[in-house]
Amino acid sequence: MYLDLDIKDINKLLKMKKIKPIDLVNEAFDKIEKSNLNCFITLNKEEAIKKAIELEDKEVDNLLFGLPIAIKDNIVTKNLRTTAASHMLEDFIPIYDATVIKKINDANMIIIGKTNMDEFAMGSTSETSYFGPVLNPIDNSKVAGGSSSGSAACVAAGLTRFSLASDTGGSIRQPSSFCGVVGLKPTYGRVSRFGLISFASSLDQIGPITKTVLENALLLNVISGYDVNDLTSSKEIVKDYTSLIGKDISGLKIAVPNYYMSDVVSISVKNKILSIIDILKSKGAKVDYIDIPYLEYAIPLYQIIALAEASSNLARYDGVRYGLKVDDYKDINDLYKKTRTLGFGDEVKRRIMIGTYILSGENAKNYYYKALKVRKSLTDAFKDVFLKYDLIIGPTNTDVAYNFNVLSNDALKTFYDDLLTIPVNMAGLPALSIKIGENEFNLPIGMHIIGSYFCEDKIYQLASMIEKIREDVK
Amino acid sequence: MKATIGIEVHVELKSMAKVFSMSKNDFKDSTNTNINVIDLAYPGTLPRLNKGVIESALKAALALNCKINKVMHFDRKNYFYPDLPKGYQITEQDTPIGYDGYIQISNKKIEIERIHIEEDTCKSIHTTDTLLNFNRAGVPLIEIVTKPCMKNADEAREYLEKLRETLLYLGVSDVKMEEGSMRCDINISVSNTDTLGTKCEVKNLNSISNAYAAINYEINRQISELEKGNVIKEQTRRYDEASGKTILMRYKEVGNDYRYFPEPDIPYVILDDDYILSIKNNLPILSDELRLEYKKLSINDNAINTIISNRDIGNFLQSVIKNCNPVIAANLLTGDILSYLNKNIIKIKDTKLNTENFIKLVNLLDSNKISNKQAKELIKIILENDDDIDDLVIKLNMIQISDDNFIIDLIDEVLKENEDSIKDYKEGHDRALKYLMGQVMKKSGGKINPQRANEILLSRLSKI
Repeated sequence: MYLDLDIKDINKLLKMKKIKPIDLVNEAFDKIEKSNLNCFITLNKEEAIKKAIELEDKEVDNLLFGLPIAIKDNIVTKNLRTTAASHMLEDFIPIYDATVIKKINDANMIIIGKTNMDEFAMGSTSETSYFGPVLNPIDNSKVAGGSSSGSAACVAAGLTRFSLASDTGGSIRQPSSFCGVVGLKPTYGRVSRFGLISFASSLDQIGPITKTVLENALLLNVISGYDVNDLTSSKEIVKDYTSLIGKDISGLKIAVPNYYMSDVVSISVKNKILSIIDILKSKGAKVDYIDIPYLEYAIPLYQIIALAEASSNLARYDGVRYGLKVDDYKDINDLYKKTRTLGFGDEVKRRIMIGTYILSGENAKNYYYKALKVRKSLTDAFKDVFLKYDLIIGPTNTDVAYNFNVLSNDALKTFYDDLLTIPVNMAGLPALSIKIGENEFNLPIGMHIIGSYFCEDKIYQLASMIEKIREDVK
Repeated sequence: MKATIGIEVHVELKSMAKVFSMSKNDFKDSTNTNINVIDLAYPGTLPRLNKGVIESALKAALALNCKINKVMHFDRKNYFYPDLPKGYQITEQDTPIGYDGYIQISNKKIEIERIHIEEDTCKSIHTTDTLLNFNRAGVPLIEIVTKPCMKNADEAREYLEKLRETLLYLGVSDVKMEEGSMRCDINISVSNTDTLGTKCEVKNLNSISNAYAAINYEINRQISELEKGNVIKEQTRRYDEASGKTILMRYKEVGNDYRYFPEPDIPYVILDDDYILSIKNNLPILSDELRLEYKKLSINDNAINTIISNRDIGNFLQSVIKNCNPVIAANLLTGDILSYLNKNIIKIKDTKLNTENFIKLVNLLDSNKISNKQAKELIKIILENDDDIDDLVIKLNMIQISDDNFIIDLIDEVLKENEDSIKDYKEGHDRALKYLMGQVMKKSGGKINPQRANEILLSRLSKI
């Protein structure tokens, strides 16, 4: 099975023409067709095969050449159905490519399909998907996490080594943690959002999910950069994010927020983190426990800011120009009402209603504008930490993957799942989740590595060390 | 009873592209041709920002004597309507680019509360169905809002005329009310105390004269309502041109909630002092300044008004004013040339008139080398042909001779040949003078300046 090989080896085989891209594509589709995880909403088989054959005449010009990649279904792909896992966009075929899709195509990677997710990225389990939930590949009775459920699960299951996902409050890192793969939410503005179906504009960010740290950095290299089509994208130069991989970590200054090691974190997760901290210290890293103010406000901030933005971002789904439109309506208001009632699932409706309430009348002042101030304070608190430390670490989640239906009928609980991931989105920082081991039921435990702005290279430096430690333990 | 009036004006800015997308800004092209995924609010699209629009809005804000918000952000105004593809309009609620400005009209300053940038909506066309033209979606607008500071329709009309003229001179908009590139909503209230009365809004007035008529109608209507003891409820009305009346559209509902919040897809825009200064220093000459300039040059008021209200003529005058007599130039332009243009419904650029020929023509008149009558003849030719005027003057044998010595010699010759007529003249026969003058002109072949010749003839006769 070629897709289980190290990508450097795959690359050699491609260069030597021992294998062709089509072999990788066929293998991916064989695996997908045998899989029962519900990772994909739409497959791109015909186009993927066509592209693979086209690539046979091209020079193998980079390590990602000819490799299959899966794309979260909230990233628009020209002529390939993009649903955001919603009935509202069940039949929506985009007429343009997201900027990241152009970059993926330019790197000669092959898009094999669109991955399942929570509807409009709202959820932590894919239980809100119109297309049914994704199963965790490690234990099918558990959730895969979310909202980028399919993107994490398909990499964990070895259906592909690469996927793109998006993260608004933890949607890349939490499923990566639950499935035991490497998932990075880049610095806000590092990757263009043009073509990402908006949930919360000031928090959304596209990032890579991969099997290994090196693959993650290589994919980040491809998708990063300023884009004229996204005014919030950054002009900061794109580094080679692989450059610090494997480098010695002695002298690295690492902070562990006490908030991230509180009693809400399960014992097995905490113990695993503590054992990693010991190893890092033994490798010469300096590790301190610190307090970061305002962390405890992250969830209310998210509920206010993300949902307010979402209520506005989802107003465009009105049945007028694209997407679902009911046939039977009296007047324009009736069209809106019926289309949106039918098109959106319960969680999406709940969030639109809360967001609308937050922005209504005096509430905007009492909640939204106040939240923006607290967000600024939280951001400043993080900046202070990075004056003294290179990285912040802790668990990605308070616990491992859980059973289905745990969260249903408890809207608030879903947010608490993102207790440790949301602060990073609020501050716009980059952060990665990497597996550091398993609990007693073999469920993966993820560690969270948070870096300063545009210091993804340093995150990968530490992540690659953890990857090595993991292998050494084996 | 006193009336109080405030005016909101929407002006479409001229620009190559729309304000938040690269689609062409031309509403009049074929329906739904100037559109892209951003204008249609396709999933995943984000706004871009046209810097030229910010520059135009800044020019307007500076010309209206506004303070400038140097750190500004855009806001979303959320509401559902088919002509609003995103479900929100991007505008500047919190930080209008300009605020606290004014426009000077004849007897007072009209206070401008704010001027802000926003995007236009689609154009809805109501037939059996509602049809949408997205060419207009995202066309850049500025909204200019006055304080409730006008007392009557005359002030309002003067304000609108002055605003229109100013924006026209800035070159930021066509400001054609009849085509919708300038639209105005008027708030009117009446009260017999110092507290403002309940306002009624008259929406979408499409000409200044309609605005004037609507205000007068509305003031009278409200006064008579109050005199009848009725209470005025806040409402939106429209003006019906045929009947000259305003008509109730709807009563205002309490607190229309637009759920404004800062647009997260567009970072803050910083207007630094150097940039503001460079725009300020490069503002085109505005109408007030031009009026003063023309007055100083002794151009008469009628001609000045014609020039100011007609940019075509005004621009041409500006291009020649340093090289010829401005009074003669202004008179030619506002006289024969303007009537030619009006008659043919064309602009100067559609004629053959060039500045070089025009300057020569003015100079010929200025130095009395041709007569006014000859000038009229020449204007007609140079509007329709690009022959050089010097050649024309020779070809048509038009040069007048104003050289006194030449004229004296010629007159003396004629006098020598007509001693009888001198005698007749001395005896008081006026026709003898006419005859002598006729002989002089004949001998010169019509080339000498008749006025000058007449003066010299009289002076020679008096010495005999």
